[in-house]
Amino acid sequence: MERDVKDLNILNRFCEEFIAIVEKHCKYIIVSGFVAIASGRTRGTEDIDLITEKLSFEKFDKLFLDLVNNGFECVQTNLSKEAYDYLIDNTSIRFTWKNKFLPEMKLKFAKDILDEYQLKNRIKLKLTGLDVWFSSINTNIAFKEELLKSPKDLEDAKHLRIVFAEMVNENEINIIKEMIKRLRL
Amino acid sequence: MRKSHMEQVERWAKFVRENPNKWQKDHTEFINSLFLNHEEFFKKLAATPGGKEKILKLYNLKRKGL
Repeated sequence: MERDVKDLNILNRFCEEFIAIVEKHCKYIIVSGFVAIASGRTRGTEDIDLITEKLSFEKFDKLFLDLVNNGFECVQTNLSKEAYDYLIDNTSIRFTWKNKFLPEMKLKFAKDILDEYQLKNRIKLKLTGLDVWFSSINTNIAFKEELLKSPKDLEDAKHLRIVFAEMVNENEINIIKEMIKRLRL
Repeated sequence: MRKSHMEQVERWAKFVRENPNKWQKDHTEFINSLFLNHEEFFKKLAATPGGKEKILKLYNLKRKGL
């Protein structure tokens, strides 16, 4: 994906550096607010939400070590076993660049068929200039309109609906909203 | 919902859609300014009495050396 380095903002650089490590170890998706922000939405955020496939401890330990060896640190703990226990409890763990407060990467494991659906239907978005995998536009719109619903989230959904109008599929959005009602509400 | 703000969101989204090679410059400056402002403020806060403790409370961190 062609892009001039000067176009990278701090969030994008953090995302690309982190994902360069993660993608060596597992399947993943970027979800929620950063999908809208990377697609041009002008609002602040402190974190990027990342879902990975569920990993064994042995595989996670290698990922954790690789992240630490490449300039990242876990905010909650230095111990990979403790971090893994958070993830198994469906609690996200947070990473930053070493000795920096922000931005943060919030990592969690896929926890149900809705997350599996997102991983299966992941996409790359050329407009963002980022060579990373995102959950689909329809999934993000459905989550923001059906589950999250804050003014910020509804604005994100509106932004995505306009910017990616050709990808919007109301039928799929409604199917995902039904899955959200069944699994998350 | 703030109607006028949603209208602004829509206007900007249309600009992004119609100008795929123009929006990133302004957007990059906006995002970077948020983080630079944050960093500048926290440097000032850390230099005040009790500032480092406030930062730790804000982020609920247990970092060594801060």
